Amino acid sequence: MSRFSAAARDQAAGLLWVSPWIIGFLAFMAVPAAMSVYYSFTDYALLEPPVWIGLDNYRAIASDKLFFLSLRNTLVYALGTVTLGTVLSLALALLLDLPLRWRGLVRAIVFLPTLVPIVAVSLGWMWIYNPNTGLINVTLRAVGVEHPPNWLGLPGLAMGSLIFMSLWMVGSAVVIYGAALRDVPVSLREAAAIDGAGPVSRFRNVTLPMISPAVLFNVIMSVIWSLQVFAIPYIMTKGGPNDSTLVYSMYVFRSAFEYGKMGYASALAWLQLLVTLGLTLGLLALARRFVYYRAA
Amino acid sequence: MRERAGPWEISRRAALLGALAAGAGYVFWPDRTRAARRAPRGRIELTYWEKWTGPEGAALQQIVDWFNHSQDRLWVRLLSVSDITSKAMVAIGGGDPPDLVGLFTFSIPVYSAARAIMPLTEFAHRGVFDLDRYAPGIAALLAPDGVPWAGVNTCYTLGLYYNRRLFRQAGLDPDSPPRTTEQLLDFADALTQRDTRGRITQLGFGAILPLWWPYTWPMLFDAPIYDKPTNRCTIASPGCVAAYEWVQRSAARLGPAAVRAFAQDFGRSMHGPGDPFISQRTAMIVQGPWIANFVRQYNPDLDFFAAPVPLAPGMPDPDQPRGLLEADVIMIPRGCPHPDEAYEFLQFMQRQDVQERLCSLHCKPSPLRQVSDQFRSTHPNRAVEVFDAIAKSPRVSVLPQTSAWERFADETTSAFDAVWDGADVRGTLSALEARLQRELDRAADIRRRRDAAREAG
Repeated sequence: MSRFSAAARDQAAGLLWVSPWIIGFLAFMAVPAAMSVYYSFTDYALLEPPVWIGLDNYRAIASDKLFFLSLRNTLVYALGTVTLGTVLSLALALLLDLPLRWRGLVRAIVFLPTLVPIVAVSLGWMWIYNPNTGLINVTLRAVGVEHPPNWLGLPGLAMGSLIFMSLWMVGSAVVIYGAALRDVPVSLREAAAIDGAGPVSRFRNVTLPMISPAVLFNVIMSVIWSLQVFAIPYIMTKGGPNDSTLVYSMYVFRSAFEYGKMGYASALAWLQLLVTLGLTLGLLALARRFVYYRAA
Repeated sequence: MRERAGPWEISRRAALLGALAAGAGYVFWPDRTRAARRAPRGRIELTYWEKWTGPEGAALQQIVDWFNHSQDRLWVRLLSVSDITSKAMVAIGGGDPPDLVGLFTFSIPVYSAARAIMPLTEFAHRGVFDLDRYAPGIAALLAPDGVPWAGVNTCYTLGLYYNRRLFRQAGLDPDSPPRTTEQLLDFADALTQRDTRGRITQLGFGAILPLWWPYTWPMLFDAPIYDKPTNRCTIASPGCVAAYEWVQRSAARLGPAAVRAFAQDFGRSMHGPGDPFISQRTAMIVQGPWIANFVRQYNPDLDFFAAPVPLAPGMPDPDQPRGLLEADVIMIPRGCPHPDEAYEFLQFMQRQDVQERLCSLHCKPSPLRQVSDQFRSTHPNRAVEVFDAIAKSPRVSVLPQTSAWERFADETTSAFDAVWDGADVRGTLSALEARLQRELDRAADIRRRRDAAREAG
């Protein structure tokens, strides 16, 4: 008779099969993350062993202009991309929910940009925004605008241009909203219509509550993604002009690998996690009031 | 019944086999280049990381090949590494450094203070590293604390390149480039052309193109941005304010937005056929000697020359030109597998004939005091004497030698942007100076603590 029960054997087998993931998670996520907590209390320049400096990194952050600037820029970016992205992707999903011709093709076209590598997208948009030969300014000149702006070259416009560009990648959110919309019972919409509700009222009182879990999911994912944005501003503007597009992740990267301040960068990264966590928890708290879950 | 594949269709199995065959072909195909670069049996293989790619990387490979064929004990494997400052830091910090690494002179204070590189005095038993062979400015860069930490791998200074054809077209004398900063602005006006909508089609000169050395302008006003003995940032001194006011004036004369829009066309095309100077869309540009290397590749008929960067009125002195002096350096990381052998290669790189060959291939001046007649007579950069005179001038300027330099440079770039767009110069520079001083103080404080910890064992 075996010394182990069937349940224990099953558990061991299960752990064995997931062990590659567990080992990978420990080696590449959990242990480095725990070490970065320690490093955030040290001066660690990579070239020399870390030296314990207590809360000095956090104190320095409190008087670091670039910290506040990059945090503000990132929050502006997140607010812009999440708000506009949610509105646009919902609008597109509603449009594609209508019985249109070529609906499948349009859906594919909307999704396609998300498959393009971020570097290619960024380079492409740099050309679109080019003040002299870019598609936008050439079009504006053709319709009579004498002096169209320099979209990426003006501190007041550069961040807005990056936010607008992010709308290029709403395809995955549209797919999720599309799936959620198909799950809204037709009977509810019909009942509302019979009761005299117009299209706007039906959307607000029937469709939106029914798809609210999908909205919550997309908003949380967009917030997390946008708070971590790095590649797009790094490629397109390098944080300029005049630091107007210096985002938080870029500042963490610069601190670690350009200024050689790994301890300071670790402290910045942990604050970034706290901000992201705070916003996510805030959204989840709001969700209790605004998100409707149907009974199973 | 299974359908047969049509003439333009292939089965899944055939596609899979085809992909496997292609992969196997790639692996087993005799690659002469790869084989040629492999170390012959019995030689000690040294790994050398260097930043250069393209023609500059190919030139260095010629030098490495020269070394590899000049003896039969060592074999240097050259690797082009992008973003080399970060990767070198990670490799050295992680305990797996290459035998040699090519960085910049501003890297020396950071690496030497951390003892992450080996002082070349440690190799005295294998031949003394003689600092007196180098131009004084270069020697000071290689040994910021008096101890040599690195060898040199070409050097550069900045000069004002100008297009002689465009000078003639604008009615200017192609043999008389501007000598003062005020003349530079007048020449820039005369050489700038616009289309009917007012957009710049040809730029005379723009301090923003390229925005690589935003900290170089105070040097033209004899105003240092950093005082090493006291570790003070001096970027808000009256001289620096005058320099950045001149930058702001230069922007205002042509229109800051118009120049910025023009410059943005070249963000990704510097040093290529679309480079603003090589494609003749800008008449004057502050650049390093290497531009001549790219001119001979992409536009060999370009009629150009170079002059020292103009100075503030009343300052020019042809016998003592000013400018920024920088050098690419080669260092031996502490903990590398073959330090003695690495030093042997480093010493080879410092030979006069080797440096002259490499500098010639890169179109740069030699970092050594002595140069051969052949180097002068056959140098491919027709303006090399201009750059050489700056490199050897007693009034040459170097970058602040501090571990906070990268932050210094980034913040100065942002301040330059603000000044260019019309911000109050004095206020911007005062705020910048205060921020940078905090960084410098913090870096010094950390250094003190580290040194104390090291001494305590």
